[in-house]
Amino acid sequence: MSQALFTKERHIRYFLRCLKTFLPDLYTSNDSNRMLLAFFTVAGLDLLGVLESKTTREERQGYVEWIYHCQVPSGGFRGFTGTDFGVERRTQDNEAWDPANVPSTFFALVILLILGDDLSRVKRADCLRWLSKMQRTNGSFGEVLGPDDTVEGGGDLRFCCFAAGTRYLLRGRYSTGVEGIRDIDVDKLVTFIESCQAYEGGMAEGPYCEAHSGHTYCAISALTFLDRLSRDSDRVPLISPDSKQYESLVRWLVARQTTELGEEEDEEDFDEDGQVNGAAQDLTQSVEGLNLDGSIGKLPDLTPPSEESLRWAGFNGRCNKYADTCYSFWNGATLDLLGKISLVGAAGNRRYLLEKTQHLVGGFGKDAGEPPDLLHSYFAMVSLALQGEEGLDSVDPAICASYRTVQHLHTLPWWQDAR
Amino acid sequence: MGRYASDPEWASIQPIPLNDGSETGTVPLATIAYSDEYLEATSYLRAVMAANELSERALQLTEHVISMNPAHYTVWIYRAKIIFALNKDRNGELEWLNGVSLKYLKNYQIWHHRQVIMSSRDHFPTLPPKEMDFLMEMFAQDSKNYHVWTYRHWLVRHFELWDSPREIADINSLLNSDVRNNSAWSHRYMLRFGPRNDQPDGGMVNADGPPTEKGRLAVVDEDLVDEELQFAQVKIASAPENRSPWSYARGVLRAAGRPLSEWTEFARKFVVDKRDDQGQLEDVEVKSSHAIEWLADVYAQDSTSDQSSARDEAVRMLNLLKDKYDPIRRNYWDYRIQQITSGELPAAA
Repeated sequence: MSQALFTKERHIRYFLRCLKTFLPDLYTSNDSNRMLLAFFTVAGLDLLGVLESKTTREERQGYVEWIYHCQVPSGGFRGFTGTDFGVERRTQDNEAWDPANVPSTFFALVILLILGDDLSRVKRADCLRWLSKMQRTNGSFGEVLGPDDTVEGGGDLRFCCFAAGTRYLLRGRYSTGVEGIRDIDVDKLVTFIESCQAYEGGMAEGPYCEAHSGHTYCAISALTFLDRLSRDSDRVPLISPDSKQYESLVRWLVARQTTELGEEEDEEDFDEDGQVNGAAQDLTQSVEGLNLDGSIGKLPDLTPPSEESLRWAGFNGRCNKYADTCYSFWNGATLDLLGKISLVGAAGNRRYLLEKTQHLVGGFGKDAGEPPDLLHSYFAMVSLALQGEEGLDSVDPAICASYRTVQHLHTLPWWQDAR
Repeated sequence: MGRYASDPEWASIQPIPLNDGSETGTVPLATIAYSDEYLEATSYLRAVMAANELSERALQLTEHVISMNPAHYTVWIYRAKIIFALNKDRNGELEWLNGVSLKYLKNYQIWHHRQVIMSSRDHFPTLPPKEMDFLMEMFAQDSKNYHVWTYRHWLVRHFELWDSPREIADINSLLNSDVRNNSAWSHRYMLRFGPRNDQPDGGMVNADGPPTEKGRLAVVDEDLVDEELQFAQVKIASAPENRSPWSYARGVLRAAGRPLSEWTEFARKFVVDKRDDQGQLEDVEVKSSHAIEWLADVYAQDSTSDQSSARDEAVRMLNLLKDKYDPIRRNYWDYRIQQITSGELPAAA
């Protein structure tokens, strides 16, 4: 069988197309996520190592200006320019309709860093003040501040992650220049995150919901951001090797790797499986509690997986779901944050991404045969980068961008010890 | 001329065009080839929002924008504010949402908006009778839809439905049609072992207790625990490679503060050693890889009390997984073997 190949030149063309031409009308339903799409585009080219060579200095300065154009007067960044009705019309009564958005603020800052900006025009103090207003009494964060300063949006871990990330980027190790600004309630945030660990081991959107890899990444990324700024040498159990919480989380994460790819042949399997289930359920009814032994005795022996079936092994996001490109990132990056990326079956994951979801025109699709999109393209590349794929720069799994970006962040004044 | 520009009802409004910053020297990122229809509707939306207009026509406009961009994060908040200000019929809003939900299965804002509407105790003192029917209609489209399950979870807490016969009946019916529906298993766990009204909202059982007690029930109903363990066993017997009930049983035992070793005998039925006349091990008949993992955990726990035979058994089980039944996780099983042989760690429960 042919060697799986990362088609770097095609990916460069794909990301450049997304950068320099209009995204199709199809993306209108993602208009409010433009800052996220912008992040994927810029970070993608950065990861491919061509951001500087394939764009001009003027273009990059223009991108920086656009990001600052998205900064709202009261601090933080909007997710798209569509809510902006003009600063001259902005009043206390209508500003809730053009609010700063928690995830978008984090992505705007990371894009600025990737582009080499020094964040000097970021309203740091206002942004951090706004951020602490975004926290609820139960410790979680919302998405935007609504009318009358109500915290709006779901109570889930995505917002916790990007709030902790924004705090990390803007407060830094020394909080230089923002010393007097009220911090978020870190203990309450940690307690909320801990309460989201499901019985399965993974993290859920909220307490007692179903464990989900996307939320799991957000939880562990948030704890990592908090830990990186913490002066406390004690780590939260969830990110401390040897604790029960940590070990059951790792177990759940590695259990997400799967050869069930949801392709046609799998679906046939699944149908057969369904029939097996059907028959077994009849069996269940006839034995209901009385003769469990008998029915177990009649079960066929388990067939070990064949070499061939192990060739492609992606990741799912929840128990008993099919593989999907982005979960190679959500699970792999979380394992990397936990110091356990080595537990991934790297070869199977690589072949899944390169032979199944990598697209002929460049970019990656959600699963086999799907057209490429920005989210899956970027996450596939990060997953490969975490495994050391040649042609991709190394990545910081928490800020989800190149190490170069973090190194640049660390040169900013609030990361320097001024004492 | 566009739909709004040509409509006398909208003549009083001066639309605010999209300002992507191109006049101030920016190079916009992630530009989208918007349709004229979307550009016009959103320019009127910005205008009514800037004027803080809470009106019937603005309500219609939100519907139009949502139909093109259901993920727009302020249009939903704005819509809710109009619904409250005009005191619109809440059931009508839910009916409209039903259609939108079936059209945009993966959207999250829709379900949050439904929760915002349903939160009003004045309008919905009890659960509307058709609500769960609609959720089951959603599950017929996708029985693992995360947003719908999160919303249902919220309904249970909001209307205190833990013991509602409909809840467990729907769960049983969903598990009967797909025993691998992990979302249904999770919901079942919340119904049986989740915090009730005396616990902090959305909190965790024993959240304020010492770390070792978190998530563990303060008062254990042993009959309920036994019932749920029995339920899991029956489901395992019908599909032993289904991970969901095995995880569920781990969760049940942990909540009850009972050991994994309670299930040693049960797990052993799926991992049967075949010995020759001299008692020498010839072969192992395996019917479930999850049973091997369970046994490995039990023996690993025993091995910490310095029993080398337990340690050997744990390693034998882990090697079965690594070499034969679950080689996709070869690195993980190696890691576990290392933990046990180095005697450093208790295994995760």
